[in-house]
Amino acid sequence: MKMHKPCKGRLVNVVLKNAKFWNGKSFELQNEVRLNACETSETVEFDCNGALVMPALFGLGIDFMEPLRDDVYTFADGFDALRKGGFYGGLYESAANPIDDADKFTAMVNRFKSEERGEEAFDIKFLGAYSKGFGTDSLAEMVELAEAGVAGFGDGNGVIPHSRFLRLAMEYGKMTGKRFFFQPMDKTLRHSGCVHEGAYSDMLGMKGIPRIAETIAAYTVLETARFLQVPVHFKQVTCGETLELVRNARKNGIDVTCDVNLYHLLLDDSCLETLDSAYHILPPIRSAADREALWQGVVDGTVNAISVNHTPVLRQDTVVNFEDSVPGALSLEVALPAIWNKLVAKVGEARAIELLSTAPARLAGAESAGESVVVFAPEKTRKVLESDFAGHVCNSPLTGKELPSSILASYINGVWTEL
Amino acid sequence: MSALEIKHLFGLRGVSKHDIRLILDHAKQFREILERPVKKVPSLRGMTVVNLFFENSTRTRTSFELAEKRLSADTVNFASSNSSVKKGETLVDTLRNIEAMKIDIVVVRHKGTGVPKFLADNSKAIIVNAGDGAHEHPTQALLDMLTIEEKLGTLEGKNVTIIGDIRHSRVARSNLWGMSTMGAHVTLCGPSTLVPRNTELMDHVTWEPDVKKAVANADAIIALRLQKERMDDALLPSMREYRNTFGITEELLECAKDKVIIMHPGPINRGVELDSDIADGEHSVILDQVTNGVAVRMAVLFLLAGGRNNENA
Repeated sequence: MKMHKPCKGRLVNVVLKNAKFWNGKSFELQNEVRLNACETSETVEFDCNGALVMPALFGLGIDFMEPLRDDVYTFADGFDALRKGGFYGGLYESAANPIDDADKFTAMVNRFKSEERGEEAFDIKFLGAYSKGFGTDSLAEMVELAEAGVAGFGDGNGVIPHSRFLRLAMEYGKMTGKRFFFQPMDKTLRHSGCVHEGAYSDMLGMKGIPRIAETIAAYTVLETARFLQVPVHFKQVTCGETLELVRNARKNGIDVTCDVNLYHLLLDDSCLETLDSAYHILPPIRSAADREALWQGVVDGTVNAISVNHTPVLRQDTVVNFEDSVPGALSLEVALPAIWNKLVAKVGEARAIELLSTAPARLAGAESAGESVVVFAPEKTRKVLESDFAGHVCNSPLTGKELPSSILASYINGVWTEL
Repeated sequence: MSALEIKHLFGLRGVSKHDIRLILDHAKQFREILERPVKKVPSLRGMTVVNLFFENSTRTRTSFELAEKRLSADTVNFASSNSSVKKGETLVDTLRNIEAMKIDIVVVRHKGTGVPKFLADNSKAIIVNAGDGAHEHPTQALLDMLTIEEKLGTLEGKNVTIIGDIRHSRVARSNLWGMSTMGAHVTLCGPSTLVPRNTELMDHVTWEPDVKKAVANADAIIALRLQKERMDDALLPSMREYRNTFGITEELLECAKDKVIIMHPGPINRGVELDSDIADGEHSVILDQVTNGVAVRMAVLFLLAGGRNNENA
């Protein structure tokens, strides 16, 4: 069992010294900046030694999996992960407990209230389900969910419903004006696949998921969205063909947005050669050519945001052979250090911050980071340890790897956390 | 030239020519021992081998068990159907419990790709892959290679054609890596729904959709077993059409060399992938394969155990 070190966040005001602050256009060296995000007399001074201070991030695709196993991963662990990773909020979608009525929505909102202050510790938005219990043929109470405040509608990851129910759900949900979020996947084409269908899966004899499982589902959604004039979002696009569908749909006036998963930008299916279940992520990590196509989509603006899809998995469900492992990866704690330098090299600092913070927040209908910031050393390398992750989990393909950058501290909604 | 470079046998991809040669040469010696009145040698006396079979197997498990007994090892059979695995025990726990009983070698068969490597990463035992998913079945390929060398003198420069369900075949994958390493040219042939869709990483072999062309220059033909599930899964229309299109028949052999040998990993679907006349005919070396299976498995166990003994010395 790993020794998890919980981060000790404190409700304070902070004075950041000797840091390069983001001024909205570039990083600017300032001797001292005071951040007073809470009503307390306590103030912490922190010498940043020239590190970057940037707006905190907003995570698309967060699920703390509670109440599946609250002895393994709790909301408190999730808060810990958010602060360690420099996230001020995120778009939450509960697979374990689908938010399919207004009471469940209220209960979930209350889970995010801070113990320190009795109010929301993070700016969390929620996706409501469009079917009762996910994946059923019964409509969720979308009108009441929208009135309660859900950001949009989604039925978890993995599949889209059959075409008739898809149409009916979107037709009914249209009354709310909310966006529908889909992770496009045709379940019959996915069949029993668990990895990208490509040269590596065929070489290793593993069951693959073809790109057309994604593109056919995406096309179905887009055509329904065109027909009904309902805004849609694609979560975790994995291949260039889907991005091409998005480009064409936009030209035809369809309101479609999309994100790509952090890990799909960092990895390709050559990692399958290790047969390591840490790489078991759904939708699957695709080929090097797909990864390049995703980066192209990031550069040309087709991709609206980079998502994190933070998914804790029980240790015993990962310490098995690849095909029998439960898919999913933690990402909040490592997202920024893992992607920042690559992202900046491709799109520059302003767009990088947009893709990780303002754009995902906008998609979820959240405010910007405000005074929540992350102190970040882009050139300070750091090896990822199991103990870096909150809770009794460590399922990340980056565990044991060296990251090119490090988070030094975060100041999230008045809580200061030094790492 | 006396020790294997590998510590475990997960598969034949990446295994050196030196190691394959060493195994085949030792297998030839064990083959001779198997012809003697007393077929037992004391090589693994005092060592314990567990046959950990999570999938049904009669031939491979029996062959391994015989090989272990011929080497004087203590053997234990563990089948998932009557084990604690059915009660929810994890793979690692199963292995660690068995390991706690002080075993030395684990022979494992499992439906999941990479299970042998996973077990090796989580154990101190020597691991031998007896088939993992559609990934590899290295001892089957080694016995195929031994049989070809025995019948044709060498693998170098020989044309070996494998026909059938290549996509789901661990036998085909191990053979295409092992035989290529040993200098044979491998041709693969099967219905388009039963061959891999992406062959970029297997471009050292020839993919031939026309079965007559595939067998034309073959020195050895390996017919793969066709699983009935392939019809249920809409990968094939019928056994009948498969037999008429890809089955090894007298008619098809008219397109092949006169001295071609016919091989099959067993068990055979007679009248489907292989006609009975061929399976029992002059070209067939199928029973030699079975005998060679014991010899090859003896060689693998002997050499891997020897490597560990040397390491400990």
